[in-house]
Amino acid sequence: MTDYVDAGAAIPQMQLSAIKGSAPATGNVDHDRILRARTEPENWLTYYGTFDGQRYSELDQISKDNVRRLSPAWVFQAGSTGMQAGASTYSFEACPIVVEGVMYVSGPDGRCWALDAKTGAELWRYKHASPYDVSLCCGNVNRGVAVGHGKVYMATLNAHVIALDATTGEKVWDTTAGDVRAGESRTVAPLLVKDMVIVGSSGGEFGTRGCLDAFDADTGERRWRRYMIPKPGEPGSETWPDDGEAWQRGGANCWVTPTYDPELELLFPGTGNPAPDFDGGVRPGDNLYTDSVVAVDVNTGEIRWHYQFTPHDLWDYDSTMENLLFDAPDGRKLMAHADKNGYFFVLDRTNGELVRVFPFVDRITWGEISPDGKVTPKLYPDEEGVPVHFWPGPAGGKEWTHMSYSPQTGLVYIPVQEVGATATRRRREFKESIPYWGAGVAVDLEDFYGFVSAVDPLTGEEKWRWRYEYPMTASTLVTAGGLVFVGLATGEFIALDAATGEKLWQFQCGSGHHSSPSTYSIDGRQYVAVPTGFGGWVEGFTPGLLGAASGDSLFVFALPED
Amino acid sequence: MTTTDDPSGKLADGLHRQNATGLGRLLGSGGVGHAEEGPDGTMTATVRIPEDELCFEPGTLILPHGGNLELTLINDDKNTHCAVLPHNGDPKIIWLVNHSKGTASLNLDGPGTYYYGSTTGNDEGRGLTGAIVIGGEVPDHAKLDRPPQPRP
Repeated sequence: MTDYVDAGAAIPQMQLSAIKGSAPATGNVDHDRILRARTEPENWLTYYGTFDGQRYSELDQISKDNVRRLSPAWVFQAGSTGMQAGASTYSFEACPIVVEGVMYVSGPDGRCWALDAKTGAELWRYKHASPYDVSLCCGNVNRGVAVGHGKVYMATLNAHVIALDATTGEKVWDTTAGDVRAGESRTVAPLLVKDMVIVGSSGGEFGTRGCLDAFDADTGERRWRRYMIPKPGEPGSETWPDDGEAWQRGGANCWVTPTYDPELELLFPGTGNPAPDFDGGVRPGDNLYTDSVVAVDVNTGEIRWHYQFTPHDLWDYDSTMENLLFDAPDGRKLMAHADKNGYFFVLDRTNGELVRVFPFVDRITWGEISPDGKVTPKLYPDEEGVPVHFWPGPAGGKEWTHMSYSPQTGLVYIPVQEVGATATRRRREFKESIPYWGAGVAVDLEDFYGFVSAVDPLTGEEKWRWRYEYPMTASTLVTAGGLVFVGLATGEFIALDAATGEKLWQFQCGSGHHSSPSTYSIDGRQYVAVPTGFGGWVEGFTPGLLGAASGDSLFVFALPED
Repeated sequence: MTTTDDPSGKLADGLHRQNATGLGRLLGSGGVGHAEEGPDGTMTATVRIPEDELCFEPGTLILPHGGNLELTLINDDKNTHCAVLPHNGDPKIIWLVNHSKGTASLNLDGPGTYYYGSTTGNDEGRGLTGAIVIGGEVPDHAKLDRPPQPRP
């Protein structure tokens, strides 16, 4: 036999593509610039657009009068090669970031791209090798990146936090932030504050101990960690059994990006459900700081105040979803939160004092919250093997997908889910990396619907609603053009009149939406970008669409140039 | 590299051969091997594509921990294949014509299972996939502050 033919060395797959391998250098995005993000609406500099989580843009070129002419400007097809973690449950959930004509966006399975935001050309790509067998409760997803200091920051399925060079996509640093063997992962979009990258934990269904981390933006070194379950002796530990192990597995993960008040220097992460989700018998007490908003000092990681939306949760009502910051006409600094439990909370964000609470969904049977905030549970899985049906189901009246707020109208636009579930308690022993639910859960396959609700947070009055036959599964975006953009589970991307709720435009994207659109402009032309690709925990929020078409494309729309 | 028990030998007759019971080879039914670790922590291993078997051998390669792997790939088959391999940054690809030999420098985190395969034709569908399984633990600083917990 002759010698072997020399096959050489394996090369990066992207060398066999049209990728340029570099992106134009953009101006420095630093803390001061993100603070003033609203003054440069041509860019979408941070996850929510601005630190306050309003998801509002001053861009108004696309308006009620011309939105009917909105058309695709370009489409980016993410695609994939080979076997990927959670292949059957992936979802394209990110919110695209745009800086001076360059779009940075992440996808499932550790992928990240820099795209020409005007043409859609792929400039560079990064793929973090993701273990196929990593524990993922709710699909193979990633909600986006943070951009700043010449870097792109991303969290990975195997609980790493990485920084990429913004012009080349080359890895600058890589920090192992969590323990995959313990069921930890990271799916959150990082938040850049000062010279730190803020990243919360994922793994809510695996009995982890939820936490929020701050890393040095230049080196990746961890500055502080705030656990959301107190150890014995720490403040809040009295809300956990003092003779048990429950606190060690208590949950309270921070798997959605926090908002931030730069004057108070407070971060506002929401925390996830206690573990096990449905079996409260092994964790008597209120179980702080699960299902809460926790005001965290950005400089030290210390907890300044908290408000718990569902004490001793028995329904899987994570409160991870955004805490939207806005100010009342009298100047009072407020916070709005639409919780999974179906109630809308307005708090004073300086001290956590309850200002107002009211329901924002039609059907609430799990319990009741009085106007003064008193919580009375009514229906919950209590007896072993006995099914209990309740509304809202574990996906909540609103899932992680975000509402938005328009200073023009003073309204909050909530994507609402109306779907219930039946939980049957089944106690189990805890083991690392094994789902720790404490119940069997079946979400209703029929009798569901959804709507976009336009609510005045100062009065609780619903000004209008746009009803839809399926639960709303994507974030809203509101613009100074008087439009509310939102994707639907059946694939349509729509624009509503922000004042009346009238549907003014739609485009079928071919796969359902479970992401957060953003908007930007280049050379005076406004664009709206939205990742599509239905998946993730569909059985939890829209089981009636488990067989729907999937995909992983990013659509960008603009008005015709003529 | 060392090779331990070959699970494919325990399979029912034909599942590990082309066009026997099925048209191709059962996925991931090759043998199990271990990478060897050098003094600097770099790991080395060799996988081969045997003639007419349509598998990587060993089909499962176990690494003691995450890090850098210098992998040698040898195609002893009389058909052309390739390998698309997991790597932090971008998957790496190597074309493997008949009777060829090449290398791949890979960086992977641990722990977990990473799959790879030949993406030419329907090689993957017919069984030409392999797994790199990384053992070990994450660094102490990445672990949760709590007592050790039970594992399955």
